[in-house]
Amino acid sequence: MIGRVRTALLAALLVIGLTAPALAQKPVKIGVLTPLSPPGDAAAGQFIVRGAKMGAEDVNARGGVLAGRKIELVIEDDAGTPEKGAAGFRKLASQDQAVAVVGQFHSSVMTAVQALAEQFKVPVFSTQASARQITERHLNYTFRTHVIDPDRCQMWTRWIKERGFKRAALITENTDYGVGLVDETKKAFASILPGAELRTIIFDRAVVDLTPQLLEIKNWKPDVLLNGGIGTPMYLIIKQAYDVGLHPVVPMLISYDAPTRPEYWKTLGEKGTWASFIVYYHPTMKLTARGEAFRKKYMAEFKEDPIYGALNAYAQVVLMADTLNAAKSDNSDELVKALLANKFEGWNGTISFSRGEGPYWQQWTPPMLVTQYTRPEMSFGDAKIVYPPDLKTGDWMAAPKR
Amino acid sequence: MDAFLLSQYVLSGLVIGVIYSLMALGITFIYSIMKMINWGMGEFYMIGSYVQYALIVSVFGPRRWYLALPLAMGAVFLLGLVVQRFLLRPMFVGGIERRDEYATIITIALMVFFRNLAIVLGGPNQYAPPDYARPMTLVTLPISGNRVVALAGTLVLLALFCLVIKKTWVGRALRGAAQNRVGIQTAGIDVLRLDMLAFGVGVALAAAAGALLAPDFLVYPENGAISTFKGFEIIVIGGLGSVLGSVVGGVLLGVIEALGSVFLSAAYKDLYGFLLLIALLVFRPTGLFGERERSV
Repeated sequence: MIGRVRTALLAALLVIGLTAPALAQKPVKIGVLTPLSPPGDAAAGQFIVRGAKMGAEDVNARGGVLAGRKIELVIEDDAGTPEKGAAGFRKLASQDQAVAVVGQFHSSVMTAVQALAEQFKVPVFSTQASARQITERHLNYTFRTHVIDPDRCQMWTRWIKERGFKRAALITENTDYGVGLVDETKKAFASILPGAELRTIIFDRAVVDLTPQLLEIKNWKPDVLLNGGIGTPMYLIIKQAYDVGLHPVVPMLISYDAPTRPEYWKTLGEKGTWASFIVYYHPTMKLTARGEAFRKKYMAEFKEDPIYGALNAYAQVVLMADTLNAAKSDNSDELVKALLANKFEGWNGTISFSRGEGPYWQQWTPPMLVTQYTRPEMSFGDAKIVYPPDLKTGDWMAAPKR
Repeated sequence: MDAFLLSQYVLSGLVIGVIYSLMALGITFIYSIMKMINWGMGEFYMIGSYVQYALIVSVFGPRRWYLALPLAMGAVFLLGLVVQRFLLRPMFVGGIERRDEYATIITIALMVFFRNLAIVLGGPNQYAPPDYARPMTLVTLPISGNRVVALAGTLVLLALFCLVIKKTWVGRALRGAAQNRVGIQTAGIDVLRLDMLAFGVGVALAAAAGALLAPDFLVYPENGAISTFKGFEIIVIGGLGSVLGSVVGGVLLGVIEALGSVFLSAAYKDLYGFLLLIALLVFRPTGLFGERERSV
């Protein structure tokens, strides 16, 4: 009898001895929920995944987190739709047990998943979703390291003022982002450019023929056209505005950094010339040591300059690794405490989160710049920064008459 | 609002309406012969646009885009033959009795399959072939040259289609099959083989629309969704099974959407077509040129 007990005990100890290191080395999962298929901006999602993967590789090469555990990314496609985003987040939080989710791009999706983040107690990061209400709701598990639309709209209104334009037309889609752009631009015009005229048109995101709307804008004779399309609609606006004779005769400002992607020229050809666009990163910017190391590695691997979405996703994964180490735990409440209590090295500065007023809640904002392409096939590195005045590297140029 | 501007909006709607009618014609033609709705029509439009893009970029170059168009149509025609022969023909029992739910399931499955295949093969990004023609002015409307080419191409294809249907032996057989599938078999015609031809021609028309509109509406995995949606609206407005209805329905839809989006709101552009559709269903349930089904 004693012999049998002894054998059983030895067997149990052997099993525990064999499985304990494996349990200790169980990877920490971070979810990447981002658009990887239409109607989402799938190109943006691909760059976000690139950056996140490189972030996980870097952390794992340095020994991982929490005394040797590796970071494992679980990638889910939200297709830019709230319902797919919600399904993806549920899977990441419940089935995969992700400790955090990064990669959010579309504001409508982020707005849907942040309620689930509260429910599952999983921190969710906006990588490029900028609608005001995302952080204005003051939710515990929502964090953002991207610009917010009130700042974007104030910035483009100041640019319009500097250029001396008096009539601006804004064409944008019927999403949280597009509707937010209209509201915030109206407010910004009222405070910064009183007396200037603003015409806004919101179109259905699924519509592909925008000719009647662009003709209407052309007839109104604006000084500047603000392009608030995301993904395919952004390209459709440029192509069709060119065809009806609106662009580049009337200067166009694109609301985000899509023109920095290699696909821009492939899709638009010469029609993409003379567009101005808002960016958050420029190759001439000075980066942190971490950001510079990422840029070198990215250029070596992909033979092109990194895109902001990749930089930001990389920084978010590395930031989460720092948070796990600072919290010494993967418990969600401990992670939120650590996120609020610590400062983290980002790609171009120190990232910290505080619970500020309005949309400045658990929010960190990168710089915003206006750049311009002045010749076909121009590389992003050659595009001059034309605004704000303290960072500009060249003057904005009007297109020559066709 | 001056007459000049109004003419621009009407012309813009008219042009896009005629182009959409090509898609509607494909749907209504397949329905007429096979008595089934092809829910995957948009994906044949999408494949047409991808083949056109691939041929222009890798074989013909931007100046000889017109050589790519018949090849894109031909490729999709052959694909349609294969799909009909191996996936859709089993829905017919003895050439007459058909299982409608079978066609619905198969064509919806094809829609999902082709869309995902496009993502796997070409990635989720959009592509654009070079312009077919420079922007120009059509009467009062400043317009993309591609759109004018698409309009001309559509009109040529519509004329060719009508010619074949009215004047040739095959056309007579197809009209016969549309009228009575049993009767046509008594004349010694293999109706199942005719189905294959009709399906191939129908999806080739969708491919032509995709190829013609590729430079303007871009090439991406979901680009067929909106034109399929419009195509279904048009065939209900114009009357299921009517070629003339497809063209008139397309023009009506295009003009109403253009005017509604300018005078009311662009955010509800799709709503205006649906309001027209509902009004027609109330007052003329068979559509503008549709005929009440006769049963014996």
